[in-house]
Amino acid sequence: MHEAGYTIKLPVFEGPFDLLFHLIKKAEVDIWSVSLAEITEQYLAYLQSMKELNLDIASEFLVMAATLLRLKSKLLLPRPPKPEPDEEEEELFNINSAEELFNRLEEYRLFKETALLLKEKEAEQQKIYLRSTGGQKMMVISRQQSYYFFWEGPHLLSEIMRSLAEAAAAAAMQPTIDTIDDFPVADKLASIYDLLRRSGKALPLSAFIRSNQLWELITTFIALLELARRRKVLLFQERPFGRILVAVNQDKLKEQEDGA
Amino acid sequence: MERSLQKQLIEAFLFLKEEPAKLSAIAELLDVTVEEARALIAELQADLDGAARGIRIYEVAGGFQMGTRPELAPYLEAALGEEESGSLSQAAMETLAIIAYKQPVTRMEIESVRGVKCDHVLENLLKRKLIRISGRKEGPGRPLIYTTSPEFLKYFGLKDLNDLPPLSKNQAPEAGEEKAGSEGQKPVPEEQ
Repeated sequence: MHEAGYTIKLPVFEGPFDLLFHLIKKAEVDIWSVSLAEITEQYLAYLQSMKELNLDIASEFLVMAATLLRLKSKLLLPRPPKPEPDEEEEELFNINSAEELFNRLEEYRLFKETALLLKEKEAEQQKIYLRSTGGQKMMVISRQQSYYFFWEGPHLLSEIMRSLAEAAAAAAMQPTIDTIDDFPVADKLASIYDLLRRSGKALPLSAFIRSNQLWELITTFIALLELARRRKVLLFQERPFGRILVAVNQDKLKEQEDGA
Repeated sequence: MERSLQKQLIEAFLFLKEEPAKLSAIAELLDVTVEEARALIAELQADLDGAARGIRIYEVAGGFQMGTRPELAPYLEAALGEEESGSLSQAAMETLAIIAYKQPVTRMEIESVRGVKCDHVLENLLKRKLIRISGRKEGPGRPLIYTTSPEFLKYFGLKDLNDLPPLSKNQAPEAGEEKAGSEGQKPVPEEQ
């Protein structure tokens, strides 16, 4: 903004708690002896000045302003006989009394100050370079939004080569496509269920696949989904990304037998 | 095995290791008890200090790792060029502090302390590997829970989580006092 002949420096606040904390400090009073009315006024004045400077005000600041006003008005009104159930409340500031507010501020202060201690530790530690061979780490973000790290090195290359070879082999295995009538889903469904009941235990997916033909794979898959949908079988994994096991849903089975 | 050879072995082992080496691993390597291993490491450390070497042994993240001397930082910095992604922001520090002391903790719990949304900060901390998702909390919505990572300990040069600075209520003069006892003194006003 070059038309202004001077720059106004507004401190940057990390959030409404940070701002409130700053205002209390500026008032040079103890957190516990601050008057809610006074702090509300200062808070609103600050937001006003932000507005005049055309700064974006994050929504959290506005929610806090509303919270403060609500607390203040509560003080003015005669107390209702019993606390009415709160209407849809923004969970971020589910604060219902000045005391609660100051408790929350106090907790925030604790972590804000600890963050400063960590900052010192960081500065100390940044003077030390821990041993590293300078390799690059590779990050993979999965669809679940979690992060995995792989060490990028010779073995990664061999892994890539292997998966390429596997893909090539899979491509070479040309599936013969028969007509769909050869593998009706209903038959497959019955045979899977029969196999499961006879074996009496959980079986992995591979137990139901009789050939590598495409239609066999598709009908098995659809049959299992259908069985699961009808709740005749249970699908489970012993760990994330583990193999999928299929078992007869005993409850359903009993239900059927009782009904019969 | 001779003592000097044992120390040489430790030095060589730590040189090879890119991640902090566990005390138990060092003890196993030398076929000695962990107490002896610890004593040998201390001796090696003294040797390195005495010989005015450029490296030291640091106890971080539950193990031992070689690193450069802090005094060399200004020279190394210049030589290495701008490396790592720099220091953490205040928002990141606050979030990290909450996770470090309250872990395992959900995003809602963090946001409730800070009073602001933290999704971007968490994203960045995850990318920098300082925190990790350690599972989901039982209960409505099964929210993700966050904990600090071994990288976090290395970043701050901590041996383990007990090595964190204590989270104590009386660090701040202005609010740590009892509610009544604060009339007499006024905290120094802070100019921002």
